[in-house]
Amino acid sequence: MSAPQPTTLSDRIQQIPRHYVYLLLAGVVVWQLLFPIRLPITPSVPTRGVYDAVAAVPDDKLIIITTDWDASTQAETGPQTQAVIHACFQNHKKFVIMNLQPPMGVKLAQDLAQEAAAEYGAVYGVDYANWGYKYGYENVLMAMAKNIPNAIGDDFYGKPVGELPLMQGVEDIHAIGLVVIVTGLSAMTEMWVGLIQGPYNTPLAAAYTAVMAPIYYPYLDSDQLKGMLVGAKGAAELEAMVDRPGKAVAIMNVQSWAHVLIIALILLGNLGYLFARGRGGERQP
Amino acid sequence: MNPDLYILWAAAIATLGVYTILYRENPISRLFEHIFVGLSAGYLIVATWTLNLEGKWWNPMIHDKKWYWIFAPIVGALFYFIYSRRLGWLARLIMGLFFGTAAGTFFRQFFPIYSPQIYACFKPLDYQAGMGLQGVIFELVLHNWIFVIILLTVMSYFFFSIPHEGRFGRNLGRSAVLGRWFLMIAFGAMFGNTVMARISLFIGRMQFLLKDWLGSLLPWLAGRGI
Amino acid sequence: MWFSRLLQRLFPPAPTPAALYLYLALAVVGSIVIIVALHRLLGPRGRRWLIAFVTFIAGLFFGLEYFYPVHGDPAKNFLTDWIEPVSVMLTVVGAFTVGLGIYSLLQVHGRNLAQRRPGWHNSLAFFLATFAMLVFGMWEHYLHLPQPPPEVVPWPKGIYEILFNGLFAPLQAATFSLLAFYIASAAYRAFRVRTGEAALMMAAAFIVMIGQVPVGAWLTSFIPADSPAAFFRLEMLGEWVLRWLNTPAQRGIIFGIAVGALAMSLRIWLSLERGTFFSEQS
Repeated sequence: MSAPQPTTLSDRIQQIPRHYVYLLLAGVVVWQLLFPIRLPITPSVPTRGVYDAVAAVPDDKLIIITTDWDASTQAETGPQTQAVIHACFQNHKKFVIMNLQPPMGVKLAQDLAQEAAAEYGAVYGVDYANWGYKYGYENVLMAMAKNIPNAIGDDFYGKPVGELPLMQGVEDIHAIGLVVIVTGLSAMTEMWVGLIQGPYNTPLAAAYTAVMAPIYYPYLDSDQLKGMLVGAKGAAELEAMVDRPGKAVAIMNVQSWAHVLIIALILLGNLGYLFARGRGGERQP
Repeated sequence: MNPDLYILWAAAIATLGVYTILYRENPISRLFEHIFVGLSAGYLIVATWTLNLEGKWWNPMIHDKKWYWIFAPIVGALFYFIYSRRLGWLARLIMGLFFGTAAGTFFRQFFPIYSPQIYACFKPLDYQAGMGLQGVIFELVLHNWIFVIILLTVMSYFFFSIPHEGRFGRNLGRSAVLGRWFLMIAFGAMFGNTVMARISLFIGRMQFLLKDWLGSLLPWLAGRGI
Repeated sequence: MWFSRLLQRLFPPAPTPAALYLYLALAVVGSIVIIVALHRLLGPRGRRWLIAFVTFIAGLFFGLEYFYPVHGDPAKNFLTDWIEPVSVMLTVVGAFTVGLGIYSLLQVHGRNLAQRRPGWHNSLAFFLATFAMLVFGMWEHYLHLPQPPPEVVPWPKGIYEILFNGLFAPLQAATFSLLAFYIASAAYRAFRVRTGEAALMMAAAFIVMIGQVPVGAWLTSFIPADSPAAFFRLEMLGEWVLRWLNTPAQRGIIFGIAVGALAMSLRIWLSLERGTFFSEQS
């Protein structure tokens, strides 16, 4: 049974066909991508925390960048990963990429790392490496804490990680100076906090999709996280800090007007609702 | 072979194929959904073998001749008895092992995760620095009071086992109502961030379609800084 | 490490390839015998006890290793050296569960295809996609290309890149990007300020939404950043809502979840839980 046709102005305001809403959203996005109104981006305190955490890592320690994301969140986590990689290269810190779930993340991150490595003349296996996707969640972390080469096994290309030059002297978690969790999945942070950061005092920073970020503010407050990137906004801020404005900065230019549109639509719907209530009726479901 | 052009066009066609669902459910979007599920299943097998099993199981077992690793697939195969009514208990046996592991691991993680959270709740509420803290300024103390009040009222909202009757219960009820209001602020913040996240995903796809795909056909687009 | 030495003594590596295959075969046969014996000898009560025992020991091992006093340098107890090998073994065992989900998919789509149900061609596409990714994914892995890979690559690697970067990643990204439209439509249709709480939620949402984007900072950029009124700059206000209003509420939720998860973990560890996966009636 189809919904009754809107008859009054308040009903029409509340029942704009969804295809028009989709077209409006698409139109705003395309307009801003083609003719952006560029506004300045100022790094926030949580984003500065991530950059400072990377810069503070001792030169003889590794950074682990966990890329627990896939193409579903790539628009946010891709630029976040890329910005963190740039921060590592610029601060001359060696890093490794790994991932506990989903498997796609390490391939996408490896493509980003290769692209950045070409810019800085970094060599795989010497300046950075990719440990690959490791199934096992907590079991991987518990094993890593005691013996990294045994826990990881082979790298992304099938070579035993112990044979990589940057893994010389890396035995257990004490060789790790920072873990940056880039993820769109919940529960990853709790694992790293509970099994690595808490017991071994390994510094932890994070980059989340904007959906998840509010949930992890308590971890910033308790200093369990040194810093946090919040979605594309955090990525844009870090891109600005490493002087590599990229996709995230472009996204934030568009984001502004998309948010204005969403707010306008919500207000419009509520306006119609108020008119209807004033007449003594409500919108038909 | 340089696959870049094929990748570009395949990605554009796939993206537009999925977007046809915005008009209405249609065979094209359904086809691409099935292709996606198939690729996902295939990639999961490839990644599990190449990044986990080959290095940690096959090579030690076959090349290093550590034959006891054969017990790993035998134990892992017990999961598959879930499909058998008669032998299903074997699957529950191995699941019990993993459930027990998960429980034990949670006990290990509990204090490292939550004790700093509990510790961080005890914020200085007296701005006269009587607690030995230097530079405790008024605004920070005000914020700390707000923090503690919100925390306590929100926690009181979750005390479902105490009825809101009697003097204590009624006060708890009022606190729970206040906690619910503060929760709505948190949910509003989460909603705002959710909108930002979802829109970002679409902007990311439009960046690809406009800059990478159409930009390869129209150089003007490629140079727009999209 | 003493554990490795014990393992070497109890299960020494096979001396020759022929011995390896003999040991493997004996291990498989022996395991089947043990499983059949367990199935035949244990009744329902015995099975429940065995499952409860295995669950308890698994949880006890990891929990006890954490809580048992440590000594020496590096600090450890009698269980610490077992953590790494047991964890590695569990990751390998768990990796074999990949087939569970794959089997379900194969079953559903296989049935569609075999019985030529409506939409069977979609199931055919599923099988073709799975097979293609499997073949070319493995092929690409065993090419052992140099790092970084050359610009002109062998054709199997090219096909793999088309499947991964041309289809797999874009399809997933596009599917999830549809959420932008759905959230816009849903927010417009369903977000109605019917109560004070809804009004509060909407106000917080608007402040955060505008405060997180550059236009919010621009709108209130006329307020000097170092003045007392800087609090009312939208980006500061948004950050303040997240830092001082959202954080304690989220922490309250975290504590509630923590207590619930602890209770649930205890119930599972002690096999007190009933229902799907936990009892015979499933």
